[in-house]
Amino acid sequence: MMSQRSERRGIHLDQSELLCKKGCGYYGNTAWQGLCSKCWREENQRERQKQIQEDWALAERLQREEEEAYASRHQRAQSQPTITPFSKFEERKTKEKSSKVNTVTKFFTPSAKTPPKKDTTSFDTQSSPSPSSSSSRHPPADTDHATREFIDFLKPLKSGREIFKQCRAFTESMVYKRDMGADELSECVQDFYQNLSDRLQTQFKGSTEHVESVMDEVEKYMMTRLYKEVFCPETTDDEKKDLAIQKRIRALHWVTIEMLCVPVDEEIPEVSDSVVKAITDVIEMDSKRVPKDKLACITRCSKHIFNAIKISKKEAASADDFLPTLIYIVLKANPPRLQSNIQYITRFCNPSRLMTGEDGYYFTNLCCAVAFIEKLDGQSLNLSPEEFELYMSGQASPHWPQGAGASSPGSAALSQVHKRLDLLTGLGERQDRVIEKARQLESDLIDWTDEVEQKVQSVLESFPQETHNPTATTASGTTSAAASAIDSDNVENERLPPPLQPQVFAG
Amino acid sequence: MGENVQTIPGGAQPHKDRTLNRQVRTLRVKMVLLGSSGVGKSSLAVRFAKNEFRDTSPTVGCAFLTQVVHVSDASLRFEIWDTAGQEKYHSVTPLYYRGAHAALLVYDISKRETFIRAQLWLKELEKHYIPGSTVIFLIGNKGDLAWDRQVSVQEGQNLAHEKGLSFIETSALSGDQVNELLLDVGKIQNILKVPLDGSRHQTEYLTVNRINAHFSLMYWISGVKK
Ligand SMILES: Nc1nc2c(ncn2[C@@H]2O[C@H](COP(=O)(O)OP(=O)(O)O)[C@@H](O)[C@H]2O)c(=O)[nH]1
Ligand SMILES: [Mg+2]
Ligand SMILES: [Zn+2]
Repeated sequence: MMSQRSERRGIHLDQSELLCKKGCGYYGNTAWQGLCSKCWREENQRERQKQIQEDWALAERLQREEEEAYASRHQRAQSQPTITPFSKFEERKTKEKSSKVNTVTKFFTPSAKTPPKKDTTSFDTQSSPSPSSSSSRHPPADTDHATREFIDFLKPLKSGREIFKQCRAFTESMVYKRDMGADELSECVQDFYQNLSDRLQTQFKGSTEHVESVMDEVEKYMMTRLYKEVFCPETTDDEKKDLAIQKRIRALHWVTIEMLCVPVDEEIPEVSDSVVKAITDVIEMDSKRVPKDKLACITRCSKHIFNAIKISKKEAASADDFLPTLIYIVLKANPPRLQSNIQYITRFCNPSRLMTGEDGYYFTNLCCAVAFIEKLDGQSLNLSPEEFELYMSGQASPHWPQGAGASSPGSAALSQVHKRLDLLTGLGERQDRVIEKARQLESDLIDWTDEVEQKVQSVLESFPQETHNPTATTASGTTSAAASAIDSDNVENERLPPPLQPQVFAG
Repeated sequence: MGENVQTIPGGAQPHKDRTLNRQVRTLRVKMVLLGSSGVGKSSLAVRFAKNEFRDTSPTVGCAFLTQVVHVSDASLRFEIWDTAGQEKYHSVTPLYYRGAHAALLVYDISKRETFIRAQLWLKELEKHYIPGSTVIFLIGNKGDLAWDRQVSVQEGQNLAHEKGLSFIETSALSGDQVNELLLDVGKIQNILKVPLDGSRHQTEYLTVNRINAHFSLMYWISGVKK
């Protein structure tokens, strides 16, 4: 090996640079930080192992903290029961099945494992709003907050503790499934949702509302914790799709309200206000973690759209008006990570909320809008394929048509452009006038200083040299007068009694 | 969007007297309105939900509406999804009727063209049809315009029979047969393999495979035509 290497020296670059940095003799690769695939895998494994250990430590600590928090909260819950829609329901069920209750309520009794002293300390931290407990925690504050809220919500529930334990265990287990494909992750989460809701269904005797409200909180808790792991995961091409749709929307910047037949009149201030709000809401979707919160952004956006249409048309919007307007809003907003958000919601939201309910309706419309934008062509904008190509390639714009005679949608835009041009010319003229006046002012200033200088000069000349000095003395005279005034103050000070001397007292 | 309670004459029962000791089951029913522009989809939606005619109540929104109907020991919560009828949006509409219990395919009996279009819609629906999931209703609307009829009742019935659909002629203007239609839709719990129980695990908690199909469909749609 060594001799081989020295033989080749001079012709090739030093082979040691190509070899694995671990010195195992295989070739290394820059993509593997200079290691060979085997060493890189080993190294990576070690890293991962370390990470896993750290995660476990964190998980264990969290578990301890949460159990403490739970126990203390439970104490509080017992002393002052909270009134929730469930409490009555639970009461009734308690009467029905007293035998089963015993086994379940033990989840709520502070277990013997937890020392009572610890309970009281955490109880104290609970009762005072001091952030001492949260400051020692590593996970972000919102994750912590989600856990607290979840515990608070489950507290009055008979099986609350059990639900919490299961959700926490599942969430922790998901952290170790990072390498899983997005569809598998989604399947895992959806299976969990389904199993849990099936069990709740039996427990609540088919009261869908109760099951749904618990499931909402479960989703909120879990997705707040898992967001970073499962949003736009590396195993998918979500990011590529995000960039593609973003580019596409940018390329469609020339699409006008008229081409899409959008029934909103942005000249009306309230309408343009609603349009802005709709755009803001759809952009805001990206900043939310919980699928349900993201859906709420879409719903708010939709409500603003309905308002804009209602004011413009003076009648309520139908689906025929709504979808084109939503498309227009999406084109104007170019919302960040649009595909990732849609995929994330699809994978981790309760499916019933996507296919039914008002939120589901607006979400479906958003999906339709995106699908429409992706496949949009000249025909769907009432343009010829040639026109569409010209606009897409940027060779022409509907605002500046190639021919002088503009087509009907173009002429409206053209007249608007003319209006703007007139405005610009007007502004230019005003600017010229301002500049003119500024120049005038400048020359006036110069004239004025010249004038002053001349006057000073003539005054100086009219007086002989001797009179020049007295003027100087008068000036200094005033200063000396002021100085003597200060002195006279000092003189007066001399009339004050002498400063006190330190004295020694006999006592 | 408002929600009012209506009792259907002949078949529906006020729930108070029977269910004092029993919990009323709420069954969710998603209905999607499909069909060409101008056939009266939005008008039917407003008639279902508000029992009003759209032209005389222009302030009633008609994209997403709900209506609760009490039938024997259950409440049916109808969700009415209106869709954009313009030709250019047809390729994206399959997204709307996923997870729907009923798809109402509407045509205008006074416009033959809309009947022809309805047949094209049917072909499209069949492509994405999941057996036992969605019941398709063929609806000849504007029944009040019988004097100007371009599609006979027989033709509508034949098409429905051939494709195994339910058929009814309605009028959103007069309200004729609209409640009957709602009742028919409500009865689909007997037809569907999956009962319309409000519980998620039985009806709405669709399997992951199904939602994945839903959204791979979205990409299928965006791939179409280009
Ligand atoms: N005569 C009559 N006109 C109707 C009926 N339903 C709707 N229309 C009218 O048909 C037109 C289109 O209705 P619309 O609900 O907007 O149809 P959509 O485009 O399918 O939503 C409106 O002018 C309605 O007044 C009906 O049952 N009878
Ligand atoms: Mg309509
Ligand atoms: Zn190596």
